[in-house]
Amino acid sequence: MNIMGSISETEAARFLLRAQFGTSEAEIAAVRAQGYDAWLEAQFATPRGQSGIDWLDAHGHNAVAKDVKYFDPTAGNYMIWNQLIGQPDQMRQRCAFALSQFTVVSLNPIDGFWPPYMLAGWWDVLLESAFGNFRDLLERVTLNPAMGMYLNTKGNLKEDPKTGRQPDENYAREVMQLFTIGLYELNPDGTDKKGADGKPIETYGQDDVMNLARVFTGYDHNMDRVKYQTVAWQNYPVVSHEFCVDPMKLDPKKHSQLEVRFLGLTIPAGTPGPDALKLALDHLFAHPNVGPFFAHQMIQRMAASNPSPAYVRRVAAAFNDNGKGVRGDLKAVWRAVLTDPEALDPPANPLGGKLREPVLRVLGWARTCGMHSDNGAYEIYSTERADEGLGQSPLKSSSVFNFYRPGYAPPHTEIAKAGLVAPEFQIETETSLAGYINFLQWSLRWGYKDVKPTYVSLRAIAHDTPAVVAWLNLHLSGNQLSDATCVLIAAALASKNVTAASSDSDKLDMIAAACLLVMSAPEYLVQK
Amino acid sequence: MTNIITTPVSRRTMLRRASQLGFMGAAAPLAINLAGAAEAAAHGANDYRALVCIFLYGGNDHGNTLIPCDPINYSRYSAIRGQVGILKKYLSPLKTLAPQTLTDDLQYSFPPYAPRLKLLFESGKLAAQLNVGPLITPLTLQQYKSSNRALYPLPPKLFSHNDQQSVWQALGSEGSTIGWGGRMGDLAMAGNGNALLTCISAAGNAVFVSGENALQYQISPSGAIAVKAIQGLPYGSPAISEALHQLITRPSEHKLENELAILARRSIKMEGVVNTALAKVDIKTSFDQLSGPNPLADQLKIVARLIGARKELGSKRQVFFVTLDGFDHHADLSEKHVDLIKKLDEAMAAFYVATVELGVQRDVTAFTASDFGRTLVNNGDGSDHGWGSHHFIMGGAVKGGKFYGTAPHVSVDTDDQVGQGRLLPSTSVDQYAATLAHWFGVPDHEMAIVLPNIGNFSNRNMGFV
Repeated sequence: MNIMGSISETEAARFLLRAQFGTSEAEIAAVRAQGYDAWLEAQFATPRGQSGIDWLDAHGHNAVAKDVKYFDPTAGNYMIWNQLIGQPDQMRQRCAFALSQFTVVSLNPIDGFWPPYMLAGWWDVLLESAFGNFRDLLERVTLNPAMGMYLNTKGNLKEDPKTGRQPDENYAREVMQLFTIGLYELNPDGTDKKGADGKPIETYGQDDVMNLARVFTGYDHNMDRVKYQTVAWQNYPVVSHEFCVDPMKLDPKKHSQLEVRFLGLTIPAGTPGPDALKLALDHLFAHPNVGPFFAHQMIQRMAASNPSPAYVRRVAAAFNDNGKGVRGDLKAVWRAVLTDPEALDPPANPLGGKLREPVLRVLGWARTCGMHSDNGAYEIYSTERADEGLGQSPLKSSSVFNFYRPGYAPPHTEIAKAGLVAPEFQIETETSLAGYINFLQWSLRWGYKDVKPTYVSLRAIAHDTPAVVAWLNLHLSGNQLSDATCVLIAAALASKNVTAASSDSDKLDMIAAACLLVMSAPEYLVQK
Repeated sequence: MTNIITTPVSRRTMLRRASQLGFMGAAAPLAINLAGAAEAAAHGANDYRALVCIFLYGGNDHGNTLIPCDPINYSRYSAIRGQVGILKKYLSPLKTLAPQTLTDDLQYSFPPYAPRLKLLFESGKLAAQLNVGPLITPLTLQQYKSSNRALYPLPPKLFSHNDQQSVWQALGSEGSTIGWGGRMGDLAMAGNGNALLTCISAAGNAVFVSGENALQYQISPSGAIAVKAIQGLPYGSPAISEALHQLITRPSEHKLENELAILARRSIKMEGVVNTALAKVDIKTSFDQLSGPNPLADQLKIVARLIGARKELGSKRQVFFVTLDGFDHHADLSEKHVDLIKKLDEAMAAFYVATVELGVQRDVTAFTASDFGRTLVNNGDGSDHGWGSHHFIMGGAVKGGKFYGTAPHVSVDTDDQVGQGRLLPSTSVDQYAATLAHWFGVPDHEMAIVLPNIGNFSNRNMGFV
């Protein structure tokens, strides 16, 4: 690890490839000049770009027309790709993307009016909370209308003794299992606590779920600001999209008045809904599991699949106390994840690092090589298909359990034999491996619909193939490619015989080929 | 019954088998191995068997899949289900091939949007296994409520999606690395011309088809995917094609990189083998569906095509995995479950017809599985995570038109439930699986390797196939 002022180009690039998606000459220079901490502070102070909602409005996706676009989810994909590729607040976007894999909502089952706005409202919550406090994030996630639809807090009714109806347990279960404490009691370093019988200790049982479910009853979309527009082509009005943004609203008549006992807390019968929610979320937030549970997964998303317990403990400690006595400060978490020696120093261990997930590969390329859209439409569809896409698409997980599980160990591998995990391997298959390279072959050269690569830096050096390879090695991979690999790639590119006088088309062919070779190479794919 | 050839298996498998069977000493593994080989019948040219697991992700609402429809039980069902119940006028009792009396004289109906499943059942090609779910040992309600977990162990993390998916597929909570489909593959792979085509998922990664030695080969509904830049001339250059091939396949000191290279070599090699064989298969059966896009039908179609290519590929014993997703109906059950059951109905029927076309209907058995059943009690417009559920077994070898296991009372407070209509399973996944494994050819003495808890259950064959 270098002290401030002696950060190398390589180290700056490695750092940037964790803290955000891509790297530029200017950003590498900034990290080297400012040092990690000051650079992070500058990002924390960077205002948000255009919100997802504002972007959808600006591109006419709020239009009410007979072709019922207001039921069509497709523009949700355009919105999120524009945010991730096109908005200037890159580190905030990177952190929100990590959060989107912890508290998961997927566009897939969101239906009804304005699914793109539902997704944009959700994404804006993650962006706005990314540099805030985990407790606020938890409450905003809980009351977000998209989450309400995804895990059924929306429309959740109190028990009815007459019919036997019971509150919906979906959110109560997943908020514990996935969003806060997890299944087993943890030590401060993220390892399992063991009971007297030597087995892990379960954090909650079915009774806790059934009790906590009562807290989340009585909520529904908030229609207070919604305007109703009568239209000629259907016999019910079209609603405006404010309910996609506003937190869900409580109807006290539909809220359970029963006592709630969960995880050692008793919320008395008759406690008003907002008070019960505060007590319940405070209780979850205060659970000692939250720090190590969250820390471990954020390290996995940004730095390494198998962090040492000490690394987890350091990040969890930052979660528990940011140095000023504040619990849940996410800025402290990102700083701890990204500036830990274990993240800054390349792993000596041949099992270190993590597999770069497909979306991050493409975002790294897009941010680094530069993208331009003539019309700003960003018509990039879902890339979730493994056979002809990336096998992964942002905000399109197949379930609340994310694209892959934090404990996934690919069978029949040295990784599993060593007792280690590699979550991203869960979506790396015979199909997706080929599908990804095929996706690249076209996109690297021609872009995707209106979104096209500019390759500003690379065009200038296209006649010098070793320089092109060296530039990509630094900017896309933090100089992870070995000299031998660079020589191999440069030799293949030399077959294109590109000179300064070559046509732009020939230069772009060669640049796309260079990106294809780099981005297909395992030395690049494993982020170390 | 044809036994699976049990040689060669890895030394580790043999050692573990030996220890699980209670043998000691260095000679034991060899003895078992030879015993296995001696039992194995020689496979004829037409010898073939396949199991197809149809996993319904999210936890299928069994209450609206097999619906009580006799007057007394329907009124109970209707009172408990409330607004998510299906109206009586849409129901008609399934006719069993032989008279059968179930608990409380229950009669079951499929929903009206599963006409093909009804036809398959009543023609004896489909059987229903009632109230099956994960169990370590047989369990009464009293034992379930007991605090003595040493004596009455429970499956890990009941009611949790990811864990119960794993328990159904691999008999352990999430993180389990070997499924019972994969374990059957371990035993069967040596008999296949191409060992890698023993365990196949058409639905992405699934632990069910991962064995100790048997890898899960993943195929897309459109077949194996070629790396176009290796087959063609990317950006007009053979040198770039060659460099790409070399880069993605060469070994690496770094273990994660090396695993990617292993995967790339497998992907490239198998693409050639599989697509060459598939090109010669022509299935006339239509998998084009009436109710819109049907990912399950797409997956079952590629499974049927692979089965059609079995001779070309030298396949004798295969385990397949396919899925239909979206069954977690906490809300909108009445609307959304209909669409999924329609898809299931259409896809399963098309698959059966395809096996008839291929002449392998007696050699292919498909069965359903799911995270869990759901509560019979409604939560407004949906239902919550449960435990036991009803499942279906389909094929020409299936003794269909019959219900297997014990029908649960239509109730929320009888001793076959654990609350809100969550069923306490009366048949374990191990028993369900052992029945399928027995048909597949797993010898009785190997059953405990495939299904570690089967020894806790006296009945190892439910008899449905």
